[in-house]
Amino acid sequence: MISAHKRLLLCTVRISFFLFLLIITAQQGMAQNLVKVRGSVKDSVGGLPGVNITVVGTKIGTATDGDGNYKIDMPGSGTLLVSSTGFVTQKFDLKKFKPAANGTYTINVIMVADENSLTEVTVVGFGTQKKISMVSAVTTINPKALKGPTSNLTQMLAGRLAGVIGYQSGGEPGADNASFFVRGLGSFGAGKVDPLILIDGVESSQNDLARLQADDISSFSVLKDATAAAVYGARGANGVILVKTKEGEPGKTKFTFRTDHTVSGNTENLKYADNITYMTMANEAALTRNPLNPLPYSQTKIDRTASGTANPYLYPDNDWIKQVIKDYTYNQRFNMSVTGGADKANYYVAGTFNVDNGIYNVDKLNNFNSNVKLINYSIRSNVTLNLTKTTRADIRVYGQFDDYNGPLGSGKDVFQRAMFANPVNFPMRFPAEYAPKIKHVLFGNAVVQTVPGSIIGGNLYVNPYADLVRGYRQSNTSNLQPQIEVNQDLKGILSGLKARFMGYVQRTSAYSVSRGYNPFYYSANSIDGNDITLTEINNGGPQNVGIVGSDYLSYAEGAKDIKSVLYTEAAINYNQTFKKNTVSGMLVGILRNSLSGNAGSLQNSLPKRNVGVSGRLTYGYDDRYLTEFNFGYNGTERFDKKNRFGFFPSVGVGYVLTNEKFFKPLTNIVSLLKFRGSYGLNGNDQIGADEDRFFYLSNVNLNNGAGASFGEDPATAYGRNGITISRYANSAITWEESRQLNLGMDLSLFNAINFTIDAYKKRTSNILQVRSGIPSTMGLLASASANVGISESKGVDFQTDYSKSFKNGWIQVRGTFTYATNKIVKYDEPTYPANLANLYRVGHSSAEMMGYIAERLFTDDVEVANSPSQVALAGSTPVRGGDIKYRDVNRDGVINADDRVFMGLPNTPEITYGFGFSASYKTFDISAQMQGNARIAFFVNSGGFNTDDLSKSGIAPFLQIGGYQTGLLQSVADNHWSEDSRNSYAFFPRLSSTPTPNNYVNSSWWLRNGAFLRLQQVELGFTPKARFRQKLGLANLRIYASARNLFVMSKFKLWDPEVRGNGLDYPLQRVYNLGVNIGL
Amino acid sequence: MKNIIQSKKIWPVLVLLLFAVSSCKKFLDVVPDNVPTIDNAFTSKNEAEKFLFTCYSYLPKNADVVGNPGFLAGDELWIPNSRRGTFDTQGGLMNWDIALGRQNSANPIAGVWTSRYQAIRQCNIFLENVKDEQKVFDLTPDLRARWLAEVTVLKAFYNYELLRMYGPIPIVDVNIDIDAPTSEMMVSRSPFDDCVNYTAGLIDKSLSGLPVVISDRANELGRLTQPIALAIKAKLLLLAASPLFNGNSDYARLTNKDGTPLVKTAFDQSKWNRAALAAKAAIDVAEQAGLKLYTAVPSTVLSPFTNQQMTLRGAVSERWNTERVWGLSNSYAGQIQRVAMGCLASSFTPNNSNAQLAAPMKIADLFYTKNGVPMNEDKTLNFTVKNELRTATRDERFAISEGYQTARVNFDREPRFYADLGFDGGTWYMIANNPGVGDEATFYMQAKYTQPGNSGAEGYYNETGYFIKKLVEANLTNSSTANTVKPYDWPEIRLADLYLMYAEAVNEANGPTDPEIFKYLDLIRTRAGLQGVRDSWNNYVENGAAKLGDKEYVRQLIRRERGIELAFEGSRFWDLRRWKTAATELNGPISGWTISQVSPAGYYQTRVIYNQTFIAPRDYLWPIQTGAFRVNTNLVQNPGW
Repeated sequence: MISAHKRLLLCTVRISFFLFLLIITAQQGMAQNLVKVRGSVKDSVGGLPGVNITVVGTKIGTATDGDGNYKIDMPGSGTLLVSSTGFVTQKFDLKKFKPAANGTYTINVIMVADENSLTEVTVVGFGTQKKISMVSAVTTINPKALKGPTSNLTQMLAGRLAGVIGYQSGGEPGADNASFFVRGLGSFGAGKVDPLILIDGVESSQNDLARLQADDISSFSVLKDATAAAVYGARGANGVILVKTKEGEPGKTKFTFRTDHTVSGNTENLKYADNITYMTMANEAALTRNPLNPLPYSQTKIDRTASGTANPYLYPDNDWIKQVIKDYTYNQRFNMSVTGGADKANYYVAGTFNVDNGIYNVDKLNNFNSNVKLINYSIRSNVTLNLTKTTRADIRVYGQFDDYNGPLGSGKDVFQRAMFANPVNFPMRFPAEYAPKIKHVLFGNAVVQTVPGSIIGGNLYVNPYADLVRGYRQSNTSNLQPQIEVNQDLKGILSGLKARFMGYVQRTSAYSVSRGYNPFYYSANSIDGNDITLTEINNGGPQNVGIVGSDYLSYAEGAKDIKSVLYTEAAINYNQTFKKNTVSGMLVGILRNSLSGNAGSLQNSLPKRNVGVSGRLTYGYDDRYLTEFNFGYNGTERFDKKNRFGFFPSVGVGYVLTNEKFFKPLTNIVSLLKFRGSYGLNGNDQIGADEDRFFYLSNVNLNNGAGASFGEDPATAYGRNGITISRYANSAITWEESRQLNLGMDLSLFNAINFTIDAYKKRTSNILQVRSGIPSTMGLLASASANVGISESKGVDFQTDYSKSFKNGWIQVRGTFTYATNKIVKYDEPTYPANLANLYRVGHSSAEMMGYIAERLFTDDVEVANSPSQVALAGSTPVRGGDIKYRDVNRDGVINADDRVFMGLPNTPEITYGFGFSASYKTFDISAQMQGNARIAFFVNSGGFNTDDLSKSGIAPFLQIGGYQTGLLQSVADNHWSEDSRNSYAFFPRLSSTPTPNNYVNSSWWLRNGAFLRLQQVELGFTPKARFRQKLGLANLRIYASARNLFVMSKFKLWDPEVRGNGLDYPLQRVYNLGVNIGL
Repeated sequence: MKNIIQSKKIWPVLVLLLFAVSSCKKFLDVVPDNVPTIDNAFTSKNEAEKFLFTCYSYLPKNADVVGNPGFLAGDELWIPNSRRGTFDTQGGLMNWDIALGRQNSANPIAGVWTSRYQAIRQCNIFLENVKDEQKVFDLTPDLRARWLAEVTVLKAFYNYELLRMYGPIPIVDVNIDIDAPTSEMMVSRSPFDDCVNYTAGLIDKSLSGLPVVISDRANELGRLTQPIALAIKAKLLLLAASPLFNGNSDYARLTNKDGTPLVKTAFDQSKWNRAALAAKAAIDVAEQAGLKLYTAVPSTVLSPFTNQQMTLRGAVSERWNTERVWGLSNSYAGQIQRVAMGCLASSFTPNNSNAQLAAPMKIADLFYTKNGVPMNEDKTLNFTVKNELRTATRDERFAISEGYQTARVNFDREPRFYADLGFDGGTWYMIANNPGVGDEATFYMQAKYTQPGNSGAEGYYNETGYFIKKLVEANLTNSSTANTVKPYDWPEIRLADLYLMYAEAVNEANGPTDPEIFKYLDLIRTRAGLQGVRDSWNNYVENGAAKLGDKEYVRQLIRRERGIELAFEGSRFWDLRRWKTAATELNGPISGWTISQVSPAGYYQTRVIYNQTFIAPRDYLWPIQTGAFRVNTNLVQNPGW
């Protein structure tokens, strides 16, 4: 029933798509009288929308559509003028062109960016600024460059935006957002460190950005320095990402439609050893620690399994990954938009429908499908109303909805259950004929045996197949966002003065339900070693082990999450030019109120609020000398009254050398040379954990469980709850502040090569930290915090591009490079004795990790006995030969936490870079993008079992926790210390069937360089000639094929290095995509 | 620029905007009045009672086999390594690892440093607020006095626990403010005698506020009383008088950074006098409160032998019985019964009757012969070949199943041996599902490999062959799915303990001639079905009478009596430290029978399970976590750590 419903929905979408095509096709074909001119206008990346096409000396004019195509009917002797902000205007005399047979002229235009343009504007905080007059560090990107074969925009940022450090750590649909930081990690506090994201002025989450369609974006800017972010005062310290969506274009209704169909598969699957090796090594692991240990697998079992002829239900040989994971999956994306309008009103309406499928191999045992299917649909309606000659209102409504269907638990659990399931003790299921009367599926399982021949505490193994098919979870999220913006030109009062009001409401909700049955498990018995009979394991009888099976579904509701935001802002802007003096001013006031319907506690349920006034004053002389002053005066509800408001000023200056008169002769070579500098202060109120919002209040639970009870009979005893304190009041806690100096330079050569380079230094202070200096004799129940920490970061952002057009095409080469590093300057830490200086954090990067220095593997037990004691690390398993030997850094004869040192590179990349090219020749275009991260290290998680989050479990084989058992990686099987081959530098230490914590601690043994360079994206496009398109009645048609994550170069081979230590997680996806873009 | 300011038309716009913003300061006052704070805890009796119970909540959960170091951290009980995980709630090192010599200072095992100082802070908050008569308006003066007394004694007990574990400690009598300068927070340790006097003083001043007996037994049993307070004081002063802290030169160099010695090295005889007085005071008030040694009401279906056992088993496992000085109402012994219970028949499943708690051979050997004297001193019985096989006769059937073959050492022992221990062939009377009639043909343990008591199934087994019957209440019911137990309040202090403390202190203070010693020992022995000390020694020990005149001999006798009577109750662990004998006692083998054997001849071979090491003087005191010294530079570490 359920899947039928989904199919219906999908069909509806497909049918509507064809209907839509039909309707718009029917509108075509009206004859015109004048000469027809058709063509497209492109820049180095692709079609340019909104380019003005006029005929010199007439009133005839139009503009290009969303894909850069235009149609104009004009007198045969006219001259076409093609102009657009930020580009060099071009003229085309029609007489120089020859019409096609049908009399239609085709003029395709390639626009060249005019970096020297006086009119190009950039979106900045609460407004726009002429690019030439900017003094701050802002990266902008052509939204087209953000298009890619993915439905997640966050994956398109790294390497394309100078100043953004980014990486992706998982590929599960719906949970595949890339992490990104503007200029790296500025703070090591527990609070917000990622940038503020504003989409049309709406504060948005990373998920909102992820779901945004590149097609709908009109501008994308990253504000990096203090001057740019100052107007966001309290929230701008970690950088700001500003996105504006498209507005309606006046004129005839234009339709665009794009659809992508992708096939995606894992970039890299972990390589596990075959099951014969698995069993042999499991035996080795058991014996090598204690020769008296019983063998987990008998030689008979190994031999029979190896023979390949034994009954596979008696001697199972599962490859769980193959059994529950497919090689590839198929995803679709549909995107359409309509724009048009007249004098009074313009509109841009866009709709998106994406289907992302998971990669699970789900048997059709039931009519529900538990494979991940994430359907994401959104609608965006941007309507502009010109109410009066001076009043303009924008009504924007955005609705974004995710419908998720997937396996029980989280999607990646399936993946991990496959990795952490025993492969040889039971088959995934038995054929129904073994129990003809039984209707339910005969899932295989066995009771976990620690001591052979006996059963233990009712644990069954995890059967990943059963867990995958036994039920499904559905969740729905929605985000509704109506917004109104009114712009009033106040030129009646003062020329250049404008007022603006904007307000929005955001409602987000999410809920989930799970339905599933408890599988009936069976195990196989045999007398003759071949024919089998089945034993019920969990039928509820006296010998029942595990949860009793059920034929019917049970039901569970997940958390329901409802949030609501109300935001208003009012601003006045002033812009005026007096001869060579350019003056602008801006003053804005904001109010923000955010509520959560399921905050979980009284204090968390209180509204989150921000209030503030910000302003900007700029003065420029002759576009040569530029100055700017910004401030934010912001308040937050989080702090004590005396600290609630913070003032965050900044100043900037700029100098455009190329606008000097003496430079004029050189402008053919150096078309732009500009120097910029800024210094300012930003704040951050989102410090500490969310539940610790009101630092100035204590948090007391007057009804905590830790009480006592008294009385003769425990059943009727008189008990009262106890009282606990989870936070002590501290009225001194205040803003985290960052002071940033930015020096930048913009350089353009020959009007073709552009360079922008910014270098910065940032000092973040007042970082909230737990006070380590409070002795435990104080008896505090909760730690106390203070604004103590100081961190210093610095770095360089660099971007360059080169564009060149020639007769039948153009080429553009581009590159970005971001380097961001930080150092802890002050850290609340104890005073260590001289021999423990290695423990100080100060002087290290906040993302640098601590670990033990591994020397090698112990050669034998004698060496263990004669080395510094590692008992403190060993837990309950004694250290033996073949375990990792650590260096006694403080020379006290024992290895313990004091011997850890900071090692290696930070755990988040310090360098993110990318480079690529786009080129077009006649009807073909091609582009490629490489992306890399460098200066990053991570620990391979070598052991331990994390049942809360399986992905945090390690690679150590054969560990049994509950029903889970870790698998054997081929690399471990191939290269480990064994008694026969005592290689002190083997990849993996001595095997063990029980945890060996000594080998699992973070140490240089497991430290790996996470640098990589990958071919992130390639795309090949084909745009049929205009004639052909006209025959089809299409203004635009482009067919393209693209691919993502084709290959990666890295020293690290176990898994995709981009996911760092999360190797046992849902892998990143390699994607092949076929798409069509149609414009009408 | 000028015309911007001169233009009057702009002002309304600016004013409007500023107004909109300036009215918003109140916008940030999102916190409503009456958000709960600590003051709310002291507005009414109803709320304050919760804080009173909070102060109680830090009392140790001593019935917890995992939490109480007295069980597994010494040599009195041993567990199988295969099921270590079931005891290991911390996923790392646990109490048993102390017994295995894995104590460390980086992350001390089972330390109470943090939790007891938290308890003391909570007590101080309570005392500060409840002392203020303006607060908790509806509290009657009597009740206020009682509550204050209770919390003061709790505070004293938490200090006692710290002293027992760490020796001299910093005294935090009044809470230090959280905003105080760091220098003020850096408290240093006070000399041990000061700590003892301070703690004893806390008890002295609160005594009058406490009731002698709990009258509202249904709702208040387990709350502090005068006998409890005096018993705590007696324990405290006994600790202070004992060799570990009285004349121990090992601590000569344990000084604060300013040179203040923390433990006096000179022996002070008067400490024993003080300890004896305190124990006697506790006994007097306890007896005045009606407490007496427990005896079970004899059952007509049971033989006198088994009735005697039921008395001895009930002294611990009978809920709120007559000799409970202090039962922990927040630590009922339930789970530990399952862990101790053995599989008496194949219908008992090991995952319900875990049988994991095992008594090492040396603990089993501690018990007297049936004549009430040590095995090696009994002139009438020969125990030289302990594993010699012998078959139980019909007369012996209530102790050992008739016709069953077991070792010599399991025969002819005192009633407490049979009441406390299960062993191969030993009868184990349980009320539920009894296969026999009364104690005729009742359950008995069969512990050789593959027998029901030692199937090895599921990794649950008994490592030595001596099962802890004492901790299992006789009503436990075994079924294939779960054991039903009747939990009992943990006997933190019982009257027998006070008698033994008193006897010990009197011998030290006045010598063996003081008749009080044998008076109180004999009360215990009589209840255990034995003759008095003098009679037993006269009749069964060579030169018995003469030996009893020797103070050292009597000291060992009292210690042995204490070891037997309080076996498996978590006392021995602390006693060995207090007596400074751990270095000898805990530096040797843990042994048991060869449990992997099927035949009697194979099974009854002594097998060394583990060789314990105890590093003196280091292991006598707990390490303070290394991190504490980095925070508080005034603090000093215990010797050896």
